[in-house]
Amino acid sequence: MTSRNRYHHKIGLIAAGALVLLLSILVTSPASAGKPAQETEKYCLQCHSDPNLKMTLPSGETLSLFISQDVLNHSIHSPLGIECEACHTDITTYPHPAISYQSKRELSRVYYKSCEKCHSANYEKTLDSMHASAATGGNLEAPVCTDCHGSHNVQKPDEPRTLISETCSKCHGQIVDTYKQSVHGMALISEDNKDVPVCTDCHGVHNIQDPRTIQFRVQSPELCAGCHANQDLMAKYGLSADVYSIYKRSWHGVDVSVYKARWPTIWHDSAVCTDCHGIHDIRKTTDPESKVNPKNLLQTCKQCHPTAGPNWADAWTGHNEISLERTPILYYVEVFYSSFTPFVLWVCVIYVILQIVRSIVDRVRRSMP
Amino acid sequence: MTGKQKSTTVKVQQEKAFLRFDVGQRWEHLILFLSATVLMLTGLPQKYREFSWSQDLLSTPERMDMIRQIHHIAAIILALEAIYHLGRIIYQITRRKLPGDLLPTWQDVRDAGHMLQYLLFMRSDKPKFGRYNFEQKVTYWVVFFGFGIMGISGFIIWFPVEFTQFLPGGVVPAAKMAHSTESIVAAVFILIWHIYHVHLERLNLSIFTGRLSETEMREFHTKEYERLVRNEKSVKTNNQES
Repeated sequence: MTSRNRYHHKIGLIAAGALVLLLSILVTSPASAGKPAQETEKYCLQCHSDPNLKMTLPSGETLSLFISQDVLNHSIHSPLGIECEACHTDITTYPHPAISYQSKRELSRVYYKSCEKCHSANYEKTLDSMHASAATGGNLEAPVCTDCHGSHNVQKPDEPRTLISETCSKCHGQIVDTYKQSVHGMALISEDNKDVPVCTDCHGVHNIQDPRTIQFRVQSPELCAGCHANQDLMAKYGLSADVYSIYKRSWHGVDVSVYKARWPTIWHDSAVCTDCHGIHDIRKTTDPESKVNPKNLLQTCKQCHPTAGPNWADAWTGHNEISLERTPILYYVEVFYSSFTPFVLWVCVIYVILQIVRSIVDRVRRSMP
Repeated sequence: MTGKQKSTTVKVQQEKAFLRFDVGQRWEHLILFLSATVLMLTGLPQKYREFSWSQDLLSTPERMDMIRQIHHIAAIILALEAIYHLGRIIYQITRRKLPGDLLPTWQDVRDAGHMLQYLLFMRSDKPKFGRYNFEQKVTYWVVFFGFGIMGISGFIIWFPVEFTQFLPGGVVPAAKMAHSTESIVAAVFILIWHIYHVHLERLNLSIFTGRLSETEMREFHTKEYERLVRNEKSVKTNNQES
């Protein structure tokens, strides 16, 4: 290396260092990432574009150090000028400081914390998530940002929408397979339906909670009601938007609403939507495999009412208003009381008022000379 | 009774008492009254579970279960009372001893028309009643059928699985609605109709004491009073003849 070259090299390093400093100030908000300045990326890729660049970690794993320029170009960050050292904050120069990671997983679990710098709101949400508490509980495989979003290849997470369920299926494959057979999943995959829920619509995104808790259960009907009580949305598919309001008046629904209002932390057995319709395997009620298809309904009732006889399923009025065709006995009871109740009330009130008036008049007359 | 004795007791008004309800009937009413009150008080918070006042009362799931259990115990007591009552009626029918005073007759319809005219100032005299007037018959039969509906529907929703083994499933939601609605009808009826007639119109405690005074009999059950007096006379004359 000539002294001139060395001089250039130094200038380059100083420039890179200055850029790092500048960026570390600027990248704290995404808005500041407007100016593309690819010099540092170029600088790092001088070495890291070598496909054979790798190292062995103490765990014995081989860590590839190859970064494809192509992948970076198609990620969401690089074209915006958000570069290597935005995340790799501990590496500011070459030679790099010695790394202390024992395994690939440990490396991921340290580097993902860089996401907080720009995405602090979502990062904080993840700290309250089921995934974070699984990690606290010792499961280091619990996902961090990069497990779902990727690292060098970060893309928009919901384009196309099926990508969301694909992401979850990396760990929850069986559940996603079931979901794909459901009425929601099939509409998503076959017609790229924008209305059906994907995983995150019910489970949340960054602060995903444990869906097996009492609190989740007691609030789950509202979750379904988010779409199924929406008149416009349901009309689009020829579905009734009254299913939720009718459920709320049913024995199950009233029970659940009392628990929700007063005892949200106490387990209750009264059925919520998913107990009858299924969870990831929800199907159209006309589908012979649906848990609430008339053919299977009794079997579904028996989950909670094991001694029920063959007539039992008719005791459930469904999510239907009272009608002569569907619930004749109930219909006639309602017809009877809709006239009998006011009749009894008015007869009592009018008769007693007449008696009071007459007795007062009689008394006044008697007291007069 | 000689004239001399009469003069010494002239200032003491001899109020003759007429037996109206025997001990059994008085006990029946007391059990009916107490159990129905308990049923109503424990039933209301269950009917209105979605309201906050009810949830304040229920306060814990254990307390809700307890209120339900009290309701069920009172229901059993009232059911036993109903069985006794029906049993007594059947016994009396088989022995041809059913008094039949409570059975509705055309006279009751005429009395009701007469009463309505009186209440509307179209007549100045009240109708004359027998042992039970039409108001009391209405009370009995409304309670009879009302509590019948409450009992049947109540047991259906208490044991829905068992009843639907032989009844169509549709009876369960129907029973739930009937139980819930009839309870209000019965409560309104008793609170307005019955309470007015036995407390406000005049304080009539004969269902507890078992007796009505001669004045009360003469005024409110004129025909029955006249019949009893006639019977007494004929018994007396019969005795004198024999």
